[in-house]
Amino acid sequence: MLSIRRSVGAFVAVAVGVTLVAVATLLLASGRPQVPDRLADAAVVVQSPEAGAAADSFAPTRPWSAARTAELTSGLAGVPGVTAAVPDRTFYAQALVHGRPSAIDAQREDAHQGHGWSSTRLGGLRLTAGAPPRQAGEVVVDRALGLRPGGPVTLLTAAGPQPYTVTGLVDAPGVYVADDVAAVLAPGVRVIGLLIAPGADPEKVAAGVRGVVGGDGRALTGDGRSASEPRNDARTRWIGMQVLTATAALAGFVTVFVVASTFAFDVGQRRRELGLLRAVGATPRQVRRMVRAEALVVGATAGLTGLLVGAALAPVLGALLVDVGFEPATFRVRYEPWPVALSIVAGPVIALLAVWSASRRAARVRPLEALREAAVEQRPIGRLRVATGVLLVAAGLALSVGTATADQARDAATFALYAVMALVAGATVLAPAAVRPVVRLLRSPVRRPGGAIGMLVRAGASTATRRTASIAAPVLLTVAFAVLVSGMVRTTTAAYAAGRADDVNAGWVVVPDRAPGLSDRAVAGVGGTALLPTTVFESDPDSSPTDRPLTALGVDPVGFAAMNRALTVVAGSLDDLGGGDTVVLPASANRQPSEPYALVFADGEVVSLRVVAVVTDDSIPGDLLLPRSVVRTHDPSALTSAVYVRDRVDPPVGARVVDVSAWAAEADRAEDRLVWLFTLLLIGVSAGYGAVAVANTLLMAAAGRVADLRLIRLAGATRGQVIWLVTAESALVVLIGALLGGAVAFVGLLSIRAGLAEQAGVPVDLVVPWSVVGGVVGLCLLLAVLASALPTWRSLRHRPARSPA
Amino acid sequence: MTTQTVTLQGLCAVYGAGARRVTALDGVTTSFAGGTFTAVMGPSGSGKSTLLHCAAGLDKPTAGTVTIDGRRLDDLGEDELTRLRRDRIGFVFQAFNLVSSLTAAENVELPLRLARHRPPARDVLAALDTVGLTDRAGHRPSELSGGEQQRVAVARALITRPAVVFADEPTGALDSTASQQILRLLRALVDDHRQTVVMVTHDPAAAAYADRVLLLADGRIVDELTGGITATVVAARIAERETAPAGSAVESSC
Repeated sequence: MLSIRRSVGAFVAVAVGVTLVAVATLLLASGRPQVPDRLADAAVVVQSPEAGAAADSFAPTRPWSAARTAELTSGLAGVPGVTAAVPDRTFYAQALVHGRPSAIDAQREDAHQGHGWSSTRLGGLRLTAGAPPRQAGEVVVDRALGLRPGGPVTLLTAAGPQPYTVTGLVDAPGVYVADDVAAVLAPGVRVIGLLIAPGADPEKVAAGVRGVVGGDGRALTGDGRSASEPRNDARTRWIGMQVLTATAALAGFVTVFVVASTFAFDVGQRRRELGLLRAVGATPRQVRRMVRAEALVVGATAGLTGLLVGAALAPVLGALLVDVGFEPATFRVRYEPWPVALSIVAGPVIALLAVWSASRRAARVRPLEALREAAVEQRPIGRLRVATGVLLVAAGLALSVGTATADQARDAATFALYAVMALVAGATVLAPAAVRPVVRLLRSPVRRPGGAIGMLVRAGASTATRRTASIAAPVLLTVAFAVLVSGMVRTTTAAYAAGRADDVNAGWVVVPDRAPGLSDRAVAGVGGTALLPTTVFESDPDSSPTDRPLTALGVDPVGFAAMNRALTVVAGSLDDLGGGDTVVLPASANRQPSEPYALVFADGEVVSLRVVAVVTDDSIPGDLLLPRSVVRTHDPSALTSAVYVRDRVDPPVGARVVDVSAWAAEADRAEDRLVWLFTLLLIGVSAGYGAVAVANTLLMAAAGRVADLRLIRLAGATRGQVIWLVTAESALVVLIGALLGGAVAFVGLLSIRAGLAEQAGVPVDLVVPWSVVGGVVGLCLLLAVLASALPTWRSLRHRPARSPA
Repeated sequence: MTTQTVTLQGLCAVYGAGARRVTALDGVTTSFAGGTFTAVMGPSGSGKSTLLHCAAGLDKPTAGTVTIDGRRLDDLGEDELTRLRRDRIGFVFQAFNLVSSLTAAENVELPLRLARHRPPARDVLAALDTVGLTDRAGHRPSELSGGEQQRVAVARALITRPAVVFADEPTGALDSTASQQILRLLRALVDDHRQTVVMVTHDPAAAAYADRVLLLADGRIVDELTGGITATVVAARIAERETAPAGSAVESSC
C-alpha cells in the first residue's frame, strides 16, 4: 500500500527531525568537562573544598589560605609516590597588544589568566624560546601573541597596566610569572597538582592524599580531574546543554506534530481506498495496523537517513556552537553510543506517535465510503478531541502563569517553552472548531474582489474544515512559537533593562572593553562610583550548606548611596561602612547591626566582620556590601565591573563609556546575545518545519483536488481564475493559521508581561519583534502559494476536457 | 431444487429525522437463489443502491433481516461481518474498484491476503484468465483502461469463490463495448460456475443479461420480470410505470 509520492512528506519531516535530534544529542554527549591542559601531567589533582551552592551556580571552590597552602604542599609532598606537589595559582593578567587587549581571545577564559611558572610542570609545558621568569617584571607569554624574548610587554592586571619584560615563549594561552610574584597576586590557592613517580598508582596516591587533606579538599584522578576546569567553561557548557536539550525536545515535539498532521491528512485523502479495503475484507484492526506499519517503515528509513546526516553535520554545528559561545573552546565532537541508539529509535517512535490518532481514524472508515465522494467531511470535531484540546490549553495557561511567577529567569524560560508547546498543541487540536468562525470573520475581504472565486474559496475552506485545519496547523505552530518566544525574550530583556536603568542615578557608566573587568588604575583615573565584586564564602560552620558562596561588592558608601535609587536602609547606617571589619547585609541574612559576621575571602583567610547596616534585599545588585579597600586587600585580582559617573569621561585602557540606558540594555549583553541566538535557532527550527509541513500538505492537497479544479475549469473558469482560486485558498488558510497562532501567543505574552511587571516593579512594555513574526508569516505564505499554484499550473496545462477518468 | 443464497426479510432503511426523514427501503422482502443473475432497477432515489448495500452487509438496515448463506447478518459484529464479506461476498463497484498502488494480480489476491492466505500464483492467473487479462497481471490500475479495471475487479470478486457477487452499476462508467464484455463475463459466471450475481443498474440493456429483474420505486419492489427479458421489454415496463398514474399513497411499513 506504501506509495512513495505520498510518503515523501512524512519521510522528509521525520528525517529532518531525527537529524536535529541526532545532532543535538551527539553534541550533548560530547559536551563533557575536560582536564585543563595546564594540569594534564598531574596524575592527582587536589582541589579545595566545593562551595555549598547549587551545581548550576558555577561558584568557584573555597580557596586555601597562603599558610594552609604551604602546610598542605609540604604534607602532600610526603605522601608515598608523590615526586612533587605544586600549588597552581591563577590570577587576572592580560597582555596588551598595540595598547589594547587582543580581540581574538575575548571568549577564552584562560587567555586572560596568569599563573606561577611552576604550574608549567603540571602541564608538561616547555619553552619554545627564551628562559623562564625569575624575578618581578619578567613574564613568559603565548607564542601566538607574536612577541619576542627580551622585548617589553604591558600586562593588564587588577592594579592596572604594568611594564614587563618577555623572557620566553610557550605554546599555550595565558601568561606565566615568577612563583613569588604569583604568590602575591594570587594568595589563595584552589588547586595543588601532584606529580607522581613512574609506576605509582594514582588511586593509591589519592588514598594517601585523602589522609593528609581530610575534609579540607578533594583528591581527583583520571577523568575526575576535569572538575578543575575553568568555571566559565563549565558555565558555557551548561548553557550549551540547555540549548541542545531544548532543541532536541523541540525538534522531537515539532516532528511528531508535523508528521501527525501529514498522516492525518493522508488518511483523509485515502478514505475511498481505505473504504475499498474494508469492503473487500479488511477488518478495522487490519486497516489500523496497515497504516501504522506504513508509518513504521517511513519512520525507520527516515530515522536512519536522519542519523547519517546528523552524524555528518555534528562537527560542523559543534564548531558553530563554539563560535557563538554555546560551548567552550575545548569542545570536540565525540561519537558516543547512546545518541546513536537514541536516534535509531527516534525515527520509528516519532512516526508511531504521530500516526496514532490517524490510524484510529483510518480504522473507523466505513466500507461504504469506497462508493462516496470524500469531499463532504463528517462532523468536524469529536468530543474526545475537544476535551483533549481544552485540557492542553488549560495546561498551557497554567504553565504561562508559572512562567510569569518563576523567580529564576532560567526556570521562566523553561516554563515558557513548555507553555508554548501545550498551548500550540491545544490550539491545533481545537483548530477545526475554530476554522468555520474564522472563515466567516474573514468573509468580506475575500468576497468583494473575488466574486465567484471568493465564494468557492470560502465554501471550500469551511466545508473541508479538517483539511483547512491540517494545512493551518503548521502555520499556527510556527507563528505562535515565533511570536511567543521572540516576544517573551525581547519583553523580558526590556523589562530587566528598564528596572536596572531605573535604579541607577548617574549619567554615564564606564564598562570594560575586551577585558573581564576594570583595573584600579582605570577606576582611579575615572573617578565616580565603582563596584568591585568578589566571591566570598560564609564561614559559619553551623549554617547549612557550609561554605555558601556570596557575591560581595566593594564600594565607597557615600558614592554608592548617591548613585543607587533602589537603596533602602532598614537598620543602622551605611555611613559606618569603613575600616577593615565592616559589612552591610540584606534583610534576608537575618542579622542585626553590631552582630559579628565571619567570611572566607578569595585569599583563603577567615575574617570576622561587624554588621553596620541592614538594607532591603533588592537594594543591592549582590549579596552584601564591603568597603572597597577590604575587597582589594583580600582579593588582589578582583576587577571593577562598572564605574558610574555624572558626566561623560574619556575611557581608560580596556574600557568604554556608555550612557545609563545603553548600559542597562547591554549589562547582560553577552547573556542576552546568547539567549537571542538561542531564540532565533529555535524559531528557525520550528519555522523550517512549519514551511516543510505547509508545502507538504498543500502538495498532497493539490493532487487530491485536480478533479475538482477540472470541474471548475469546465464550468467556465479560466486558467488564471483557477490559479487565483488556489492561491487565494492557500493565503486564506495561512491567514487563519497565523491569526490563531498569534492569538495563542498573545495570551501567553500577556501573562508573562503581568508577571514581569510585578517582579520588576515598573510598567513593562510588550515588545514583539515584528520583523521576525513578519518573516515567519511571509515564509509560510510564500511556500503555501508556491506549493499550491505550481502543481495546479502543471495539472492545468492540458485542456479541461482531456481529463482521464 | 434451488436454494436461496441471499434472503431479505422486511428490510427497512430510514435516514434522518423529522422533516428530513428519508425512507430509502420500505419493507423489502425478497430472495436471490443460488446460481441466478438478478438485476435491480429503478429510478434515482428508488432505494436500489441501499438495497444492495444492506444485502451485502455494507450498511445496516433500520429493521428487517438479511441472511447470506444461512447466516443472519444482524447477529454479526464488525469483525465477523468483515470476515463474511471477505470470504463469502464479492464486490464490483462502479468505479475506484482497485487499490492504485497495487498491480492487477495483487489487487486480485487482496481478499485472500487480508485473510492471511497466500494464494498460489496459478490461482491468481486463473482468475485473471477468466476475465481475459493474463497479460496484464503486472500492470497497475493507472496503466489499465476502464473496462480492464472492471474486469480485474470481477476477477477479485471471484478469487474467494464467494456465495454471491454484488455489482453496483458495474458498467456505469464504461463505453458500450467494454460494458458488453463485463456483462457477458458476469453471465458466464452464472452459467459456467453456478455463481450467484446481484447487479444494480439503470440500463435496460444491462438488465437484459439477467434471469430476473426487480423494479424498485420509493423503497418498494413494484414489479418483477422473469423469463424473456430483453432490453425492449425492460424499457417498456419502466416506461409503463412512469406514465401510469401515481398509485394511491401506500401506508409505510417502516
